[in-house]
Amino acid sequence: MATSEESAFWTIFSYLIAGLLLWGGVGLLADHLLKTHFLTLLGMAAGMAASLYLIWLRFVKAK
Amino acid sequence: MIKLLEAAQPGFKPPGSGDFIFQPIFGHSLLATKPVVLLFFSVILISTFFIISARKAAVVPSKLQFAGEAVYGFVRDGIGKDVIGEEFQRFVPFLFTIFTFILTNNLFGVIPLMQFPTMSHIGFPVSITIFVYFVYHYVAIKKHGLGKYLKDMCFMPGIPKPMYILLAPLEFLTYFAIRPLTLAMRLFGNMFAGHLLLMLFTLGGEYLLGSAWFLKIFSAISFSLAVGLSFFEMGIQCLQAYIFTLLVALYIAGALADEH
Amino acid sequence: MTGTLSIVGFGLSTIGPGTATGLIFAAYISGVARQPEARSILQPIAFLGFALAEALAIFGLVLAFVLK
Repeated sequence: MATSEESAFWTIFSYLIAGLLLWGGVGLLADHLLKTHFLTLLGMAAGMAASLYLIWLRFVKAK
Repeated sequence: MIKLLEAAQPGFKPPGSGDFIFQPIFGHSLLATKPVVLLFFSVILISTFFIISARKAAVVPSKLQFAGEAVYGFVRDGIGKDVIGEEFQRFVPFLFTIFTFILTNNLFGVIPLMQFPTMSHIGFPVSITIFVYFVYHYVAIKKHGLGKYLKDMCFMPGIPKPMYILLAPLEFLTYFAIRPLTLAMRLFGNMFAGHLLLMLFTLGGEYLLGSAWFLKIFSAISFSLAVGLSFFEMGIQCLQAYIFTLLVALYIAGALADEH
Repeated sequence: MTGTLSIVGFGLSTIGPGTATGLIFAAYISGVARQPEARSILQPIAFLGFALAEALAIFGLVLAFVLK
């Protein structure tokens, strides 16, 4: 059954996009409000780290 | 802006997203543009085919009945039964409708005279996805209850409490927005890019045909690539219809499962 | 022809992760084909490798839109 891979593949992809968009977006908003320039990149890094941690929890540790 | 390339080739106008916008065939209504007409035509085509193939159902099937049953059997056993498991019978009509609808609309992209995959307009995949979205969330909420469903989704056990601030919104966004969105975007992107590719080679071949004599050889290459890619596109179109249905079945199976 | 060079850059940056994903799943498939019972061991490794490779591609996608 190759179907569980197919589902996991797209779920991982969605996690990565969601992490980057959510926390990168929060960083962008904070940059606008606080008139700084580094928070977007910080937010993107944090979001990516959160996504990878979540993928590790769901697909590696749980197995 | 790539002004340099524009200056280098003044004659040839490459196809772009503007070529996907059609004027109404008759009248001024949006309902008379080519994609919508093709959509209605596909509905008539599918229902006629399956009504005729199922009307004279016999123990010894005719060729038409055999073809109809082959498609139905493929969706029921290959997608429904294998993926969803014991409760699959409820979802077979839904999966079957999605599969035949997407397949027919995709295949319009390579059928001569129509040559436009309806799904290369973002609105159509998105509206199919909205149906799917409500179906699998409804199934999950009915099975587990709203509170438990959200709790299972956003708060997975075994992580330190402060991490939930970082992770819970992320999971919510993934399951409620991004994952359904990728479902629509993949179908749209494949159809859009495939149609654009075919258009590029056909228009390029046509343009080269009207230029200097030694460029006519490249025109022949371009046209033969367009023909070859049409068959490749046909494969992609069938595959995308299958993958879309498979993922819908997998999401329903995930909603029915005890935990994600 | 109009557009931004960021998109061209993003297109170039997807070559690496695309190749990486292909290699990861090729190795995973041949591993499972040789030893089907090793699947439960190989699957998490393949997914983690895929996630790490794909992360770079998605960084490229977002940065192509963010950086002007």
